[in-house]
Amino acid sequence: MNTRMKEIIATVAIVAFFLICKYVLPKPLEFSPLVSNLIIGAMAVVFIIILIRTLQGKYIERRIVFLLVGIALLLPFFMQFDLPLQVSPEVKATYDALESLPPGSKVLASFDYDPPSAPELQPMADAFMQYAFENDLKVIIMGLWPQGPQQANQSIEAAFVANPALREKVEYGVDYVNLGFQAGNEFVIVGMGKGFRSMFPTDMNGTPYDSIPLVKNITNFGNIDFSLNFSAGKPGTVEWVQVGVDRYKLRMAAGNTAVQAPAVYPYLNAGQIVGLMGGMSGAAEFEKITGKTGKATTYLLSQSSAHLVVIGLIIIGNVAFFREKKGGK
Amino acid sequence: MDWQIFGVWLAAFMTLGIISFLYKDNVFYKAAEAIFIGISAGYWFIVFFWDSMVGKFYVQAIESPEPEHHVWVGLILGILMLARLSNKVGWIARWPLAFVVGATAGLYMMMFFVSNAMVQVQSTIMPLWETGDGWFTVFNNIVIIIGVTCGLVYFFFSKKHEGAFGVAAKIGIWFLMVTFGASFGYTVMSRMSLMLGRLDFLFGTWLEMIP
Amino acid sequence: MTKQAILAGVILVVLLSAGAFGQDRPEAVVDSSNLTGAILPAPVTNIEAKNHKYDDGERIDLFWEKSVDDPDNIFGYKVYRIDKDGASELVRELLPGTTEYFDEEVENDVPYQYIVAVVGEAGEAPSEMTPEVMAAWEFFNFSKLNILILGFIVCGSVLFFISSAKSGKKLFIRKIGGLEALEEAVGRATEMGRPILFIPGILDLDDVQTLAAITILGKVSRVIADYDSKILMPVSRSLVMTSARETIKESYMSAGRPDGYNDNMVQYITDEQFGYVAAVNGIMVREKPATCLYLGAFFAESLILAETGNSIGAIQIAGTARPGQLPFFVAACDYTLIGEELFAASAYLSGDPKQLGSLKGQDIGKIVAMSAIILGTLAMTFASAWELGFMQSLLDILNSIFVTN
Repeated sequence: MNTRMKEIIATVAIVAFFLICKYVLPKPLEFSPLVSNLIIGAMAVVFIIILIRTLQGKYIERRIVFLLVGIALLLPFFMQFDLPLQVSPEVKATYDALESLPPGSKVLASFDYDPPSAPELQPMADAFMQYAFENDLKVIIMGLWPQGPQQANQSIEAAFVANPALREKVEYGVDYVNLGFQAGNEFVIVGMGKGFRSMFPTDMNGTPYDSIPLVKNITNFGNIDFSLNFSAGKPGTVEWVQVGVDRYKLRMAAGNTAVQAPAVYPYLNAGQIVGLMGGMSGAAEFEKITGKTGKATTYLLSQSSAHLVVIGLIIIGNVAFFREKKGGK
Repeated sequence: MDWQIFGVWLAAFMTLGIISFLYKDNVFYKAAEAIFIGISAGYWFIVFFWDSMVGKFYVQAIESPEPEHHVWVGLILGILMLARLSNKVGWIARWPLAFVVGATAGLYMMMFFVSNAMVQVQSTIMPLWETGDGWFTVFNNIVIIIGVTCGLVYFFFSKKHEGAFGVAAKIGIWFLMVTFGASFGYTVMSRMSLMLGRLDFLFGTWLEMIP
Repeated sequence: MTKQAILAGVILVVLLSAGAFGQDRPEAVVDSSNLTGAILPAPVTNIEAKNHKYDDGERIDLFWEKSVDDPDNIFGYKVYRIDKDGASELVRELLPGTTEYFDEEVENDVPYQYIVAVVGEAGEAPSEMTPEVMAAWEFFNFSKLNILILGFIVCGSVLFFISSAKSGKKLFIRKIGGLEALEEAVGRATEMGRPILFIPGILDLDDVQTLAAITILGKVSRVIADYDSKILMPVSRSLVMTSARETIKESYMSAGRPDGYNDNMVQYITDEQFGYVAAVNGIMVREKPATCLYLGAFFAESLILAETGNSIGAIQIAGTARPGQLPFFVAACDYTLIGEELFAASAYLSGDPKQLGSLKGQDIGKIVAMSAIILGTLAMTFASAWELGFMQSLLDILNSIFVTN
């Protein structure tokens, strides 16, 4: 059988797999503890086989690596394990800062990310939004990324779904407002330091700034009690620290993608931000400390199992590396 | 036809098309790639049109009861950019470019000098040990001081890396590599999250299998 | 003792009453009516209004000591501003626990007075009215003098070295690993008859890394023009496209081969990050470049690009100052310019006095930073361990140099 034919068969098999998933398998799918343990055992056996083959000089193809990581990410969705989770000091500091705010405090939430980064940042934003509404914090939403304010709207909806009473309790324009996106990166923050009004003449729906009860008396950062920035890159937390914090003395915490978190830690250590939630683990910890279990907690199990697979592959990769080195000598 | 369901199926097809690149370049990937690029280019055009041309210029300079006249300067600079389309007057396009580069450099100079240099130096000045400090704290402080100093030595370009200076630079690059390792770990975590988002969509939103 | 206490009490009451009658009480401006029969909360004390120093005359700072009934028996505070005609205006309602307010809606050189009222169940308890205060404009912000001096030292060094370089003085820059590999990599692509892929990051021309990438592009494209190789440069910013085209065109002209250049060498793809990555990946697997150069500002795409480049067996040279992306380039590329090495490479290759001078000037900045860190750490350690006075003085001096508030 030639490669072309194999590829056609594989494509048909993949389509069949998804159709079976869609129309045959039970929904939702949940593995019993026995099945879960059997799967874990099978994965371990696969790794031992790969290790033995590596020692024999038969290396696996890169596509097998992709497949193993994919399986490790997917299967925990259907398993029922509780993962022990310790809340890190920087996430606790974020929560403590929010806790110290009296009801009625004005919190500026900048949503500086887009849908690709949502798996990490959306759970933090969802938990924050629900926490803010339940604790009567007034949330002023904006975005330095065009899709940010839409992500914020999703968080608001998620908060309403998680706690339906909030839908009646909170009022747009009084308890929260979405000022929308403004182009200009850090220049927007500089402009807001002079006056919010000039940067956001209207909110996302076109309502004039001065007609919105929540913000009409807000001139600049001096009227903001706290700020939380959800950031996936530039412009994001770094720019907020450089302009908002260092120039306008904004008190701020940040939720970052894991990629960005290491670059933001120096600002945390220097006290420029009060707290930091980094990546999926930061999101899960924030969910835990606020008591609002969401997707991050679910995702964390998948992520942890994928990390185990990656560690296993790193070990196997090193075995192959040293084997070749020895052979070379 | 329920457009929402159609949207979900289309998104699932696109996701699988992009993921298929892991096997090799193929027609599904090419189709998804072309659609993605086309749509995103169009999306950004619309975003910039409404936010910059309408939101920043039309609303502030024309529609507003108190027009902001300085916005016209931005429009003129923007039009000058289009001079590039002509071979004869293309050089004029360098003016707005110079404005963008100059203004940004001015802003960044203060931002980085204060936030990334002065504040960081101040926060790195710390006692190696203080009464009551545990060994771990003392160790941490020493690591931070050596790491920062040797890291700066590595990025010192006016002297050859030899002798004691070379040793310090070597320690600096070791610190950098350890930092990169930690950063790599964080990023692996982030990449897994991206994939998780897609799997959640495929097996949750589309196939409805996730509890 | 008791008699003295009583006498002191009487004197205090008389003095306080005199003080109260001597001031304009703010009954006219705040609502202090007791509607419910409840007791009014205690007013704030020691209220003080000051011109905010070193600004453009648009801010008055207000400070007070909070009411003794704060936080249990009050709803919050109200700040009233009284202008020179005696008209009062409620400028802000504040939460319990607040002890300051910065009024930024004042006019320059106009006298104002302020009252802070404590709001309780029974109504509002006003404070004394502050003396008149004006927001004054200051030309120079002395609180940032240290930043100016440090800025002068670093920028002065840069200017000094630029002028040295311009006057023909040879400025030493240490060898940067990876630079020699650039020409070798271009040569390899030529031998193999395959193109060179140049990715200048995904940020715009306002990012200094992109500018460094364009400078290096000038050198690389000159070698490409000399060797008659092929360059592919997909970009994600229109401004970068125009400037890259200009740079490559110049290189071909200076190589005496203007006919070898065409605009299609640089193509705009899209601003969307992952759309751009998808396209570059596609170009990589289809065109199979022998050499991939990733120089500039990169984000999540770094590993995706470097991994694809690796899979097609290309020689890869990367350089970025984004700390988060360096690990992937270090792991997946043959050579990596780490952080400032990117700018150093740009200066080294171009030999441009401005870039060389900037690099040398920044080295002076690093000496200042290193000295401050080492001296400060020693001073702080000795000052805290042995309470040495002169060490504390040294520490205070360093703190005053680096303070940014």
